[in-house]
Amino acid sequence: MFRLNLKIALRNLWKNRVYTAINIGGLAIALAAFILVAIYVRFETSFDHNIPNYKQIYQVGRILPDRKTNYTAMSLAKALKDAIPEIENVGRSRQTNFEFAFSTQDGRVYGKQVISIDYSLAKMFHIQPEGGLTKPEGGALNLYVPKEFVSTMFPKQTPTFPVKVGIGPSNALQYGDIIGIINHNSAHSNLVFDALIITDDVGAGQEPTANNYQTYIAVKEGTDFDLLQKKVDAVFKEELKKSRLTAAADREDATLRVAPDVTMAADLNRLDKSAVFLDPLDNLHLRPIAGSNTNYKIVMALSVLTILVMVIACINFTNLTIAQTNRRAKEVGVKKVLGAYRIQLIFQFLIEIFMQCLVALLMGVLLAELFLPLFNDAFGVSFSLWKDNTALTWQLPVVLLIITLISGVYPALVLSGFKPAAVLKGNLQTSHKTLWLRNGLLVTQFTVAIIFMAGLLIVSSQLKYMRTEDTGFKAGQVVYIKNMVWFDRGYFENMKARVLAIPGVNSFTVASDVPDGSRPGRVDYSMDGKELGMDIVHTDFDYFETLQLKLKDGRFFSKTFPADAENGIVLNESAVSAYAITHPVGKTIRGCDMDYRIVGVIKDAKMQGFETAVEPTVYAVNSPCANGKMKLMVNIDPDRMAGVLATLKSDWKNLNKLDGDDFRYEFMDELYGRLFKKQEQLQSVFYGAALLTIFIATLGLFAFSAFTISSRMKEISIRKVLGATDFNILSLLNNFFIRIVLLANLIGWPLAYIGAQRWLDTFAYRIEVPMLPFLIAGLISILLTLLTVSFQARNAIKTSPVDALKYE
Amino acid sequence: MITLKNIEKFYANKGVKSYILRHVSTEIKTGEFVSIMGPSGAGKSTLLNILGMLEKPTYGAYEFMGEDVLSLNERKRIELYRNHIGFVFQAYHLIDEMTVAENIEAPLLYKKVSGAERKSRVADVLDRFNMVAKKDLFPNQLSGGQQQLVGIARALVAQPSIILADEPTGNLQSAQALQIMELFKKLNEEEGITIIQVTHSEINASYGSRVLHLLDGVIKEDMAVEQGV
Repeated sequence: MFRLNLKIALRNLWKNRVYTAINIGGLAIALAAFILVAIYVRFETSFDHNIPNYKQIYQVGRILPDRKTNYTAMSLAKALKDAIPEIENVGRSRQTNFEFAFSTQDGRVYGKQVISIDYSLAKMFHIQPEGGLTKPEGGALNLYVPKEFVSTMFPKQTPTFPVKVGIGPSNALQYGDIIGIINHNSAHSNLVFDALIITDDVGAGQEPTANNYQTYIAVKEGTDFDLLQKKVDAVFKEELKKSRLTAAADREDATLRVAPDVTMAADLNRLDKSAVFLDPLDNLHLRPIAGSNTNYKIVMALSVLTILVMVIACINFTNLTIAQTNRRAKEVGVKKVLGAYRIQLIFQFLIEIFMQCLVALLMGVLLAELFLPLFNDAFGVSFSLWKDNTALTWQLPVVLLIITLISGVYPALVLSGFKPAAVLKGNLQTSHKTLWLRNGLLVTQFTVAIIFMAGLLIVSSQLKYMRTEDTGFKAGQVVYIKNMVWFDRGYFENMKARVLAIPGVNSFTVASDVPDGSRPGRVDYSMDGKELGMDIVHTDFDYFETLQLKLKDGRFFSKTFPADAENGIVLNESAVSAYAITHPVGKTIRGCDMDYRIVGVIKDAKMQGFETAVEPTVYAVNSPCANGKMKLMVNIDPDRMAGVLATLKSDWKNLNKLDGDDFRYEFMDELYGRLFKKQEQLQSVFYGAALLTIFIATLGLFAFSAFTISSRMKEISIRKVLGATDFNILSLLNNFFIRIVLLANLIGWPLAYIGAQRWLDTFAYRIEVPMLPFLIAGLISILLTLLTVSFQARNAIKTSPVDALKYE
Repeated sequence: MITLKNIEKFYANKGVKSYILRHVSTEIKTGEFVSIMGPSGAGKSTLLNILGMLEKPTYGAYEFMGEDVLSLNERKRIELYRNHIGFVFQAYHLIDEMTVAENIEAPLLYKKVSGAERKSRVADVLDRFNMVAKKDLFPNQLSGGQQQLVGIARALVAQPSIILADEPTGNLQSAQALQIMELFKKLNEEEGITIIQVTHSEINASYGSRVLHLLDGVIKEDMAVEQGV
C-alpha cells in the first residue's frame, strides 16, 4: 500500500508540477535561510562553550553612577578568592591598548591585541598550548601565539619553538621568546588576542589601584547567584576602604597612563554609589552588562525572522495543498468507500507532504551552500556548512519533521475529513467565501512581507541620515596614523614642524583618542562645587582644526597663548549644559588635581556614532591623569592625498624617530564608517528578508488565486453569459485579493511602525519614523497583487462559458 | 439481509423541515436484485447512501446482516464496507492517478490481503472482464463503458456480498449500458450477489427481480419484476 500511495503521490505532484515547483521552491528558499541563520545563531550563542564549566564562570564588573564597566582593580581577584569559599578559581587579564610590533627574521608584524593573563585564568579558560600548559616560573612572561597568527608572523615556514622575537619599535627593541603555539579561536571566544602572555601574576610591577584588569571567577556548581553577588559586592567595598590609605600616593603612579579607566581611588569618592556585578561568561559576547547588546538584538531579530519566513513558507504549503482539494476529494471519497480508515488517509497525505518537504530540505541545503559566501560577506564571518556544525545533522531532521507537521496536519485533516456521500455526487463546489482560514493565512503572509518592506525602507532612511547628517566633525581628509609610543610636547612639536613642511598637509596633531567610536577615559572635574565625570580627550594643538570641529564660544587652543599647553581646556556643549553654566569661557574647572581655565566651547561632535548621545567631554593639551597621546592625525589636501601619503611613508623613519619602523595608517572616514557596520548588516538582513517574504507571499498568491479562480469558473461563466465584459471579470477577481492585501497593509503598518519606533529609539540621533515607506510598501504589495491575479485571470477570461457550465 | 424500519431523513432549515425520505420500511433478502426508481428528487440516491452507510438517517432503524448499523462506530462500519459492500458509481469514480490494475487492487490493500493473493485476484478479475491488455492504462485513456467495467471489477474484487450501484449506466451509451446490465444479472444469478441499483431506466429495472418506486421520499410501490421480459 505504501508503494502505491507513493506512486499516486508522485503522479499527482507531476501532474501539478508548476504548483509543486512553487511549493517546494518557496520552502527550499526559506529552509536555506533557516540553515544559514541556524549556523550563525549557533555560532553567536556558543562562545567559549569549549570550556566544560563555562556556566560557572563569571566576569566581575563595576557599576558606577553614570555607567558600567568591566575594568576592575588588580587586588580584587585575590581578595575575592580569599574571602569567598564558593569561588574555586579567579583569574585576570590585562590588555595592552596599542599595537605590538614583533620582529622576526621574516619581517615585522603587528599584533593588534596582545593580552596578558594569569596562569590561573589560562587554566580557567582551558587554554591549551601545544605541548601542554605549564606554570610559568617566577615572574616569567610566557608568550604564546595562536595558530592563525603564527602563519602571519612566520609566512615562510613554521619555526620550532621557542623562537626569539624582537618586541617593540626597532630602536628600542626588546627580545622575548615565543614559547609555542596555542589552540585558541579568538573569533569564537571572549578572550581575543593575537598574542598571549601567560604569567603567574599579571599585576606584578603594575600600578596597584588602577582599574585595569578584567577579573573572572569560576564558582562551584550549585552556587546561589544572588548570594554570591552580595558577597562579592561586600568584598569589593572592603577593598575600596582598604585602599583609601594608599590612594593619595597612588595618584602619581596613575600617570603611567596605561589605565583605560580611572583609578580605584576615584571610585572611593563614590563609594556609596559603586557596586559590582557578576556577568555570566555565556552572556559576555551577546549581551554583556557593560557594553552593547546589539549582537544579541541581531541574533534575536534573525531568529524571529527566519521562523517567520519558515512559517509563511509552510502556510503556502498548507494553502496550496488545500487548493488541490477539488481533485483530491474524489480520491478520498472513493478510498473511504473502499474501506480506508481516516487515519490511513491522514497518514497518506502526511507522507506526501513529507516527501515534498524532504526535497525542499535537500534543495535548501544546496541553496544554503550556494548563498554561504554572500552571507559570510555580509556578516564578516567564515562559516562552512558542515565543519563545526555537527548540530545541523540532528537539527535538520527535526526541522523537517516540524515543517511537515506545520504544513501537513491541517490539509491532511481537511482532506481526509470529506464525506464520501458529498464528494461522490460529482459536483463538489467549495465556496471561496467560507475559507476564512486560508484568507487569514494569505493576510498573514502579506502582513509579514509588508513589515519587512517598510522596515527595509526605514532602516535605509536612518542609514542615509547617518551618512549625510552633520557629525560635528569632518573626517574626509583626515588620515589616522598608528603609532606605539607616547609623545611629549617637545618631541611632537619637532616632528610636527617637519610634517607640516610637506606640501599638501593642512594640519597635524596627536591625541589620546580618534573618532572611531571608542570611549575616551573618564575623569571627574568640578566647577562651582559641582563634580561630574567627563570624557577626557588628551589632545594637542590643531586637534580641532584637523577634525574641523566647530567653535561655539571662545577659541580653540592656540600657540599664541602659551598657557594653553599648561592649563587650557575646551569643553563641548554637553559638558557645558551638564554643569548648567551660562558663560563658561574664562572660568576655572578643576580636575586631575589641577586647575584649568576654559578657553573655548565647541559644538558637540558625534565621535561615538549615532547610538549614544554625545558625552560631556573636555579637551586638554596637558592632562596628567588621562590616557597618553599616541594617535596621530593628519589633515591632507584631498588633491594631494596620494603624494603626501607617499612622502610620509618614505620619510616616516626620520619623521617619527621613536616608532618609525612602518608607516601604518587608516582613512579616518573609513574608520568612523565602520561604526555603521551593524546597521548595514541589519539593512542587508532586511533586504534579504523583504525579498524573501515578498517572493513567498507572491508565490502563495499566485497559487491561491489560480485556485480561487478555478473554483469560481462557474460563477464567472454565468456572469459572462449574463453579459459581463472581460474588464468586469478582471476587476471582480482582483477585488477580493486587493481587499486581502489592503487588510494586510492595515495590520502590517502599525506593527512595522512600532518595530521601527523601537529600533530608532536605540539611536540618540535619529530620524522620525517616515510615512513614505508605508505607502511604498502598500503600493508595491497592491501592484504585485494586481499583476499576479490578472496573470491568472487571463485564463478565466479566455475560457468559453460553455465548457465551464457543462455538467459532468 | 437488510431491514429498514421507518427510515426518515430531513433537513431542517429555519424551522422548516424538508423531507427527503419518509417512513421508509422494507426488507431486502440475500440474492435479490432490487432497482430503486423514481423521478429526480425522489430520494433514490439518499436511500442508496443510507443503505451504503455513507449517510445517516435522521430517524429509523437499519439492520445489515443482523447488525444495527446506526449504533456501530466508524471503524466497525468501515469493516462492513471492506467485507460486504461494493460500490459502483454513475461517474465511475476511478482514481485518476492509478492505472486500471491499481484501481482494482486498491480495495484489497485496505482489506490487508497478501501481495501474492492480491496479484492473483486482480489478474483473475482482469481476465474475467477481458481487460488484461488495458491493465496499465489510466482511466482517462478508457471509454466510459470500459471505465465502468473497471468500476465494477473494483467492486467485485473484494468479493462483496452486496453491490450498491448509483445509476451505473447513467453516463453510458445504450449498447454499453446493456452490457453492464447483463453483467449485473449474471453476477446476481450465478454468484448470488445481492444488487441494489438506482436507475431511471425501465429497461435497466427489468434486469432486476424487484422494483421500489419512490416518490417524494415515500415508497409508492414495491413490486416484483416479471421474469423473461
